[in-house]
Amino acid sequence: MRSKWLVALLAAALVLSLMAGCAKKQPAEAPKPPPEKILVFARGSDSVSLDPAMIVDGESAKVCNNIYDNLVRYKADSTEVEPALAESWESPDGIVWTFHLRKNVKFHDGTPFNAQAVKFNIDRQAPDVRVPDMAYADFTLGMIDKVEVIDDYTIRFTLKYPYAPFLLNLAMGLSAPICSPTAIQKYGADYGMHPVGTGPFIFERWDKEQQIVLKANPEWWGGKPKVDKLVFKVTKENAVRANELLAGEIDMMDGVDPNDVQRIQADPNVKLIQAPGMNINYMGFRVFKPPFNNQKVRQAVSMAIDRKTLVEHLYQGNSLLANGPLPPCLWGYVPELKPYDYDPEGAKALLAEAGYPNGFTMDLLCYPNPRGYNPVGGERLGEAIQADLAKVGIKVNLVSKAWKEHLAACAGTDGHAYLIGWMGDNGDPDNFLYILLHGSQSEGMNYSHYANPQVDDLLTKAQQTSNADERLALYKQAQEIIVRDAPWVFISHAMDMVAMRKNVTGFKIHPTSSIFLWNVDK
Amino acid sequence: MLNYTIRRVLMLVPVLLGVSLGVFLVGALQADPTRIMLGQHATAEAVAALREELGLNDPILVQYGRYVLRLAQGDLGRSWLTHSPVSVEIKARFPHTVELTLAAMALAVVVGIVAGIISAVRQYSVADYTTMVGALLGVSMPIFWLGLMLISVFAVELRVLPVSGRLAAGVETGLRSEFYILEALFTGKWAVLWDLIKHLIMPAVALAAYSTALIARMTRSSMLEVVRQDYVRTARAKGLSERVVIYKHALKNALIPVVTVIGLQTGYLLGGAVLTETVFSWPGVGSLAVAAIQNSDYPLVQGCVLLVAAVFVFINLAVDLVYAWIDPRIHYA
Repeated sequence: MRSKWLVALLAAALVLSLMAGCAKKQPAEAPKPPPEKILVFARGSDSVSLDPAMIVDGESAKVCNNIYDNLVRYKADSTEVEPALAESWESPDGIVWTFHLRKNVKFHDGTPFNAQAVKFNIDRQAPDVRVPDMAYADFTLGMIDKVEVIDDYTIRFTLKYPYAPFLLNLAMGLSAPICSPTAIQKYGADYGMHPVGTGPFIFERWDKEQQIVLKANPEWWGGKPKVDKLVFKVTKENAVRANELLAGEIDMMDGVDPNDVQRIQADPNVKLIQAPGMNINYMGFRVFKPPFNNQKVRQAVSMAIDRKTLVEHLYQGNSLLANGPLPPCLWGYVPELKPYDYDPEGAKALLAEAGYPNGFTMDLLCYPNPRGYNPVGGERLGEAIQADLAKVGIKVNLVSKAWKEHLAACAGTDGHAYLIGWMGDNGDPDNFLYILLHGSQSEGMNYSHYANPQVDDLLTKAQQTSNADERLALYKQAQEIIVRDAPWVFISHAMDMVAMRKNVTGFKIHPTSSIFLWNVDK
Repeated sequence: MLNYTIRRVLMLVPVLLGVSLGVFLVGALQADPTRIMLGQHATAEAVAALREELGLNDPILVQYGRYVLRLAQGDLGRSWLTHSPVSVEIKARFPHTVELTLAAMALAVVVGIVAGIISAVRQYSVADYTTMVGALLGVSMPIFWLGLMLISVFAVELRVLPVSGRLAAGVETGLRSEFYILEALFTGKWAVLWDLIKHLIMPAVALAAYSTALIARMTRSSMLEVVRQDYVRTARAKGLSERVVIYKHALKNALIPVVTVIGLQTGYLLGGAVLTETVFSWPGVGSLAVAAIQNSDYPLVQGCVLLVAAVFVFINLAVDLVYAWIDPRIHYA
């Protein structure tokens, strides 16, 4: 019998010595320590594809941002554009746009970059040839009527109508980046796994659900990136990702959980940077049916919700209180807008005036998961609203569905109100106001079916005017009417957060939430 | 025996057919997949074109018939999200799950059986109580919590093991297959192998905890039953040493229920250890299934469910065959 105990002891000793063996080594030590400088950026899920024409999600765009160049690009800390593959451009009327292209640029596969390559990229997404999966083509490039090659380094776009945000669209990470025509022809449907651009980093390898490895492009026209290799690592759990950062296994991460903010800030080896995000978190009313077809009822509900307290408690300082549909980091934001203030007594009076002295019962569509604009998830926000509205006699039934099903429900006509939000695509107010609140968008993302002819008129005019000051005035006027009409309860704008090791330098949070890493060093 | 095996393999067909009907209906009754595939900016024409392309306008029976026909040809369809064939996605992920499962089961079987035997042979001793309290903890601790605790102790505080993933990020390994550990072992890439093992330890321990506890408890109760039987007394009476009595005579018979548990547990884990794979960002079938569900990517969900069903049928078959080997009284005609 004694020998059995001996065996057990030996086994235990073996396990312990193995552990001790590990203890002498550093955790992230590579099998062969490479001499290169590797920057590891961890995020919560993998990319879907690296073909910019085929993608709709941020995780794919994040990687594409560092492989591809566009004709123009956003400045490092604003949504203004600056030259990229196009060195200069002109448009006398906002309809015809001529771009003069950068010379001596080559794609990573050696294909020369020229006007033909640009035309190829636009043409493959033209309405008559594009495949259904090119879901952003219509939004980003749909206003283009024709593309002409003037010479090798000059290209001319003719638009169907004047469209002010056109330049910003060309800077977007979805649909607009320029890919190597040779590679697209070579790989066909598999191009998304073999991306070839002209950008700062060259695609090296993609281990699905693990990592995407890029290497620096020494010949990039913008200068060689600061690190030799860039790794986009997938770590699904927010808390686990934070642990990796604290343990020094990764250099940077996004998707910081509000629950981890404190321990990240407490560690002297890491830093957390925050910036207002280009998003809006809101509750929309179904304005096409009772009771919310009555402006007084919408106003009353807006007044019954204590937005300030709600935002403070729910988001703990990681979101800003909204005063209208646009976030403060976007031009066109009007700081002096005054949405209806918290006033439960006034709300009750208004309800009585509208014929609901005893309140009513309403269905509120919501979703369980966190979103970029609502880090605590829709159900918790819904419960907070439910509690406030109960105080003025309105009974709220929460109808929660998984995210994709929730989107489908919002696009339908169920319920009396819905929780949702929006994260901007291109840094233009049109990308919030027109697509979410223009009467023509009721089949699209104007789930409220809000349609005020005066607002529609202002928004259409602003879309087709190229003078920035004029546009600003039009958007201001439109927002004042929208806030008075109250088709939504404007709740909050979530802050973007990126955490990194102390030695990481040169990173700025971009308002579009794009991740640009060529200037980042460690 | 051969006849029996063939018969059992043929039974796979109706089982998978039944499962396929179930998973097909779950997919078919869902909200419009075209919206899921095309995103919020999609135009009405694009949605209509895609519906036509996917055959969603046909009657549901026609759709199912087409689905089964494709299935029979080994075509599991294409993922709605990535557009690559489901079989390719699963093939790329299954080896990761297999390696993790084998490691966890090896740990669970060795530790579980040894602990169970010690506990049974020394019933009511300190060792017995310790083992059984440990086993109770093992079955009651949520894997998710255990995983996070392991990470904070061994990876963040002590820094002896890496937090998550299969390999250190960005390192050129030269591995060509998805069976990383096996390949590194057979091609002699020792540095890579060492890195792989360090990444394997915590997920394997977390995953093994529940199975180890279950096997230990099952071994103990089964052993206690067997050692009281007449033939064991006879063996002792004829003067065999305690070691031979326990290991040669008692253990083999006591193992029959344990083998069932091991088989079932292996089946569960091969279907994708959902929580463990999520906590440790292990790129296996479990995390694939979770992502597929979150994205409402039904072809992929269907593929994962079919895989789990097939694995279970094969494991059950293997368990039945092992019975015959352990216990000569059992035999199949």
